[in-house]
Amino acid sequence: MPRILSSQLQRRLATAGAVLLLLGGVGTLHAASTPETPVSLETAREQGRAKSRFLKDSPQAAQAAQASEVIPKANVAVFQAAVGPMLKKNCVACHGPEKAKGRLRIDQLNPDLLHGPDAERWREVFNALSKSEMPPEDEPDYALATADRGRMVDWLSAELNAASLVRRSSQEHSSFRRLTNYEYNYALQDILGLPTTPADKLPPETTFPDGFNNSSDLLQMSAMQFDTYRELGLKALKRATVSGERPLPVTYLISMQEELTKAVEKAAKAAVVKDVKTSGKKQNPPKAGHQAQLVQLETGERMVFAEGEAQPRTNAVVGQTPPLSPVVLELPRGRELKLDLDRFLPDEGTLRVRIRAGRTSMNPDEYASLRLIFSAHTSNNANFSQVVSTHDLPVTAPASSPQFLVFDIPLGDIQRNPFRHLATTFPRRNEFLHIQNVSNAGGAEPLRVVIDHIEISAPFYQQWPPQTHTAIFFASKHKSDEQAYGREVLTRFLKRVWRRPVTTAEVDPFMALFAKYRPGFPTFEDAMVEVLATALSTPEFLYLTQRVTPTKSTSPAQISALELASRLAVFLWSSIPDDELLQLAEQGRLRAPEVLTAQVQRMLADPRAQRFSQNFVEQWLGLDRMSSVTHVTDSSLKEAMVEEPRAFFEEVLHQNRSIMDFLHSDYAVVNERLANLYHIPKVYGPQFRKVSVTPQTNRGGLLTSAVIMTMNSDGKDSHPLKRGVWMLKRILDDPPPPPPPNVPQVDLTDPAILKMTVKERIADHRNKAACNSCHSKIDPWGIAFENYDALGAFRTQIKEQPVDATSELFNHQTLAGIDGLKRYLLIDRQDQFARAMVHKLTTYALGRPLSFADSADIDRMTAQLRRSGDGLGDLIRLIVSSDLFNSR
Amino acid sequence: MNPKSHPLNRRTFLRGSGVALALPWLETFAASNQAKDATPKRFLSVYHPDGVGLPLKSDPAWNDWSWFPRGGEKDFELTKVLDVLQPLRSDITIYSGLSHPAARNVHGHSNADQYLTGAPVGGSGPYQNTISLDQAYAEHAGDFTRHSSLVMSTNGGVGGPRGAQTQSFNREGRPIPAMNKPKQIFDLLFVTSGKDAAAKLARSKSALDLLIASTRSLGRQLSKHDQQTLSQYLDAVRDTELKLEKAQKWLATPVPQVDTRNLHLDAEPKEARLYFQTMYELIYLAFLSDSTRVATFQLGRENGEGPHDLLSMAVGLGSAHGLTHAVKSPGGWQNLGTYNRYQAEEFGRFAQKLKETPEPNGSGSMLDNTLAMHGSASSSFHLSRNYPLITAGGKNLGFTNGRYLKFGTGNEDNQAGAGIVSDEGWTGKMAVEELPLAKLFVTILQRLGVESDEFGGQTGTLTRV
Repeated sequence: MPRILSSQLQRRLATAGAVLLLLGGVGTLHAASTPETPVSLETAREQGRAKSRFLKDSPQAAQAAQASEVIPKANVAVFQAAVGPMLKKNCVACHGPEKAKGRLRIDQLNPDLLHGPDAERWREVFNALSKSEMPPEDEPDYALATADRGRMVDWLSAELNAASLVRRSSQEHSSFRRLTNYEYNYALQDILGLPTTPADKLPPETTFPDGFNNSSDLLQMSAMQFDTYRELGLKALKRATVSGERPLPVTYLISMQEELTKAVEKAAKAAVVKDVKTSGKKQNPPKAGHQAQLVQLETGERMVFAEGEAQPRTNAVVGQTPPLSPVVLELPRGRELKLDLDRFLPDEGTLRVRIRAGRTSMNPDEYASLRLIFSAHTSNNANFSQVVSTHDLPVTAPASSPQFLVFDIPLGDIQRNPFRHLATTFPRRNEFLHIQNVSNAGGAEPLRVVIDHIEISAPFYQQWPPQTHTAIFFASKHKSDEQAYGREVLTRFLKRVWRRPVTTAEVDPFMALFAKYRPGFPTFEDAMVEVLATALSTPEFLYLTQRVTPTKSTSPAQISALELASRLAVFLWSSIPDDELLQLAEQGRLRAPEVLTAQVQRMLADPRAQRFSQNFVEQWLGLDRMSSVTHVTDSSLKEAMVEEPRAFFEEVLHQNRSIMDFLHSDYAVVNERLANLYHIPKVYGPQFRKVSVTPQTNRGGLLTSAVIMTMNSDGKDSHPLKRGVWMLKRILDDPPPPPPPNVPQVDLTDPAILKMTVKERIADHRNKAACNSCHSKIDPWGIAFENYDALGAFRTQIKEQPVDATSELFNHQTLAGIDGLKRYLLIDRQDQFARAMVHKLTTYALGRPLSFADSADIDRMTAQLRRSGDGLGDLIRLIVSSDLFNSR
Repeated sequence: MNPKSHPLNRRTFLRGSGVALALPWLETFAASNQAKDATPKRFLSVYHPDGVGLPLKSDPAWNDWSWFPRGGEKDFELTKVLDVLQPLRSDITIYSGLSHPAARNVHGHSNADQYLTGAPVGGSGPYQNTISLDQAYAEHAGDFTRHSSLVMSTNGGVGGPRGAQTQSFNREGRPIPAMNKPKQIFDLLFVTSGKDAAAKLARSKSALDLLIASTRSLGRQLSKHDQQTLSQYLDAVRDTELKLEKAQKWLATPVPQVDTRNLHLDAEPKEARLYFQTMYELIYLAFLSDSTRVATFQLGRENGEGPHDLLSMAVGLGSAHGLTHAVKSPGGWQNLGTYNRYQAEEFGRFAQKLKETPEPNGSGSMLDNTLAMHGSASSSFHLSRNYPLITAGGKNLGFTNGRYLKFGTGNEDNQAGAGIVSDEGWTGKMAVEELPLAKLFVTILQRLGVESDEFGGQTGTLTRV
């Protein structure tokens, strides 16, 4: 396994579990109370809640709860009682006052690794001991008993980990950071009112395997990044603004009647050429439901039709509602119409595709939707295609009264035929648009989509000039005065970009820049766009600022109301605040509790909040790992897998359900594709919805979702180690220490090992002295998931052997499969999980790593969360009103 | 400059110009201190993470799948891993026994950062890198060409400290972001910025002035800690200023015309073969057009994960990083060797192309005036020692090829650290002697015309090279 950098582990704070881990084999552990007959998971959840330290009222209990925030202390007691004497007996003869071999005086090393100066020397000692290099084999007098070696290695391992944790968590971390690439992208969209921006060109972000992408420590700036900001800002502005007359669009209208005529002629010709014998004979008409076909509704005549050619029509009018056509295109499930559009589409602008469609049947269990694909086939061995519709649009109307479906495709952003401007005809210049029916239709008379009208038009403008333009160049009585109007435009734009009111003096340099630029451009707008682009590369746009306020406020570290508005927007919308937030901040009302609560409510209800659930869930659970998974070949399954945790999170968030639902719930949030995998009946269609599940489904909560199981597999089978590490890191916020330097690989050339089951193999590995201390803390968590295969499907057998998913935690707690694991988490680990959740969400909200100094706040918030009933919505509100969120 | 599109090459121009050199717009040419030698001297470094296969002699795989050749300096024999370079035998040199001393006990996962710099970046704690070999040469040769260097990698960007996704570091030790999209690289090299480029440049300069002022004013309102963060932005603006100055010099020169018909500019790393070849082709075109004389290319990243670790799909194998971990699985050595062999094959294809192209502005082939280096900073599993290195070409620079050069002592058969699959290797003591790789770098710099006797803290050159 990849060696994890020590800094990763340094992230975690001393959770209760971490403290237990650090105590390792020396501390006394409470054996978890396991009832003889396992209680139901619902009961387990109630029992676990009753045990919460955070809910105890007595001061002792409160103090016990505080124990989790204690900064790790050096465990000198164990050193004095056990490790020191062993060192004296086995090591000092060579590494002491007499010999000091390797210039090591082990008797002089400071046993406080956390604060003493000798942590690096101790690491060498740890390496030598754990590798059994020392004491040397040829010194039998100093030989170390395996158990003693184990105790020393355990102590050193715990102390070294605590030391690195202390180092990292003692540092100051600031929330001052640049926007992440995705935040920049959204901010640009929101400022300019564009549906998309071409942000994929920004240099790839550094990702930290264990943290959040918005962590201030990781967001670097380079000349290339800066250059790209300048380029993208200008490009986006040019897309948002226009000049001159409304451009004439290229328009294609597909008439099914004409296509039928053409197809009939073509077929007749082909029949003559192809086979003289069959000419004149009527071919068997195609049957409904198998191919894309043109159907003459009055005569019932049918003609296979999957590929058409279209040429632009001059003076074509779009956006009308023509009478229903007697000839329609019928698309069965999975079929498409491929339209050859030749080479006339413009390079930039919106491609509007408007399709009138209906369903042949209204069976509610069947769904159908349309998807657009763009392609080119430039030569024999060179072609490409790309899905260009962001979402499949569902077809919901009956064929008798069809509906219009409208797609807008940014032509400048999709993959185009690079040869379309060639004067020669090879490589081929044509571009194709495919209209595909994505559906679950089945059975004897499966649902088909019927299309009677298609319009394709680009560049499409709803109005002229478009709203994105008038938002920047708004109507004003000063419009004829370039100086006065320029100042107006800049003042409004800068306020939006900087998320605060701007002074005249701050606008001045931009006016000076405008004065320099103006002579080089034909129009006011052209010159101003260049100036506005500069505003989009200012540090105040690109960075989340927090000023050192000269004025005395309630708390010296409190951020301003405007900065709070920005922080809220970046947290919940991954973008800039809107006018309402800014206005409340300016008026000084944003901090009023009822106003803040109402705003959070409003923000979460806004579609922009989906960015929060998507980005937080992806980073929290590490879903980017799915991008390197190659064993899920069904793309709709892969999409559904990645979507599930976000859909689940949104369900919990919007209903303010308990965060304990992430551990287990009596419902799942699935679509048809996932429901198939999970054997949940009667879920039809691609949209996610909440459905009840029985215990026999073996689902509920996030832990067993297909994506988690799949990305933590090795491509063929489950991978208990990855699953265990994932559990500890992502759910319990207690990442295991990195493997020591001497981890031997599992030797698969050994036939005895090759024959073992996965569980046996890791047990064999675990039994090696060097591996045991860590693996005993990781493997059991992962083995509990053995009932889930490499795609997350539930299984009871592996290679015709019954699945053995029983394991024992290092504290002798038995985990009997997934139910046992969940039961244990619900009974004994609720507090730890709640704190982990608070910790992770707060880290994300602040955009910086947390340090020891934040620990008390996190505990306080955890206690508040637990008291208020663990609701995820409540947790968001707790965070935004916390001191941490309101401080620099 | 492509001589076809730009008939005035520097040599003829300088001969005939005389006093014209005093004119300000000729600054670019005047900047050359080796103006009389118009033949470009080029340098390319290709880096692959994860090292190579180094089985023990006792392992059945040793015969075929051990990376290093067998035999002596001239009569060496290539194993299956490098046999694809046999046709280029007289144009290549293979090295063993070289490494950067500071990294010898650092875990291999941080190796990519220090391969071209030799800096003691270490395995933890504060991070500071130093200038990379290519940039040391680019400082010297960069003024002759439109682009001082071409920095490419499959992953793009800079990566993170100790997880570099670029091979190039500037004088301050700051990483230079690598480009990973063929289209972007092509546009940079061969698409003209338009007739209003001069006006655009002037506008950019004014904009940068405004941004610097605006950054300063913001900085004054921030805490000390946050000012530090903001200083990175200021650095980026300043770097951009320098770039603009250079661009100004090149405005008068048209970009070379290049035939794009055989280029697959949309290739992505997951189409490994096509992508590899496209990237190499772009380096070739950049060199041929004298758009730059310096290039680096990093294949994947150390400790790779994610889509960019799938380059080994070119030979039908999964995760490249995983191959190094799986050498003890059935067929493991062969799989890693097959991937390394493929890397050598593409490198060889590139060298062959240079060899077949006569130097446009000098004698011999392009290969004779180019030193192309291919290597990794790990030999055996995560072991930052005995780097597997190949150089090709450079005959006119003074390199004598057709040799297998063994340096150091005690490891003549390359068995130190062989066969390991745990991290014992890199933490263990060095039992053999190796020479500092930076000494080879000094040799390279000197032959490229840089007057320096020091690189990466090492003084002096390597004899026998």
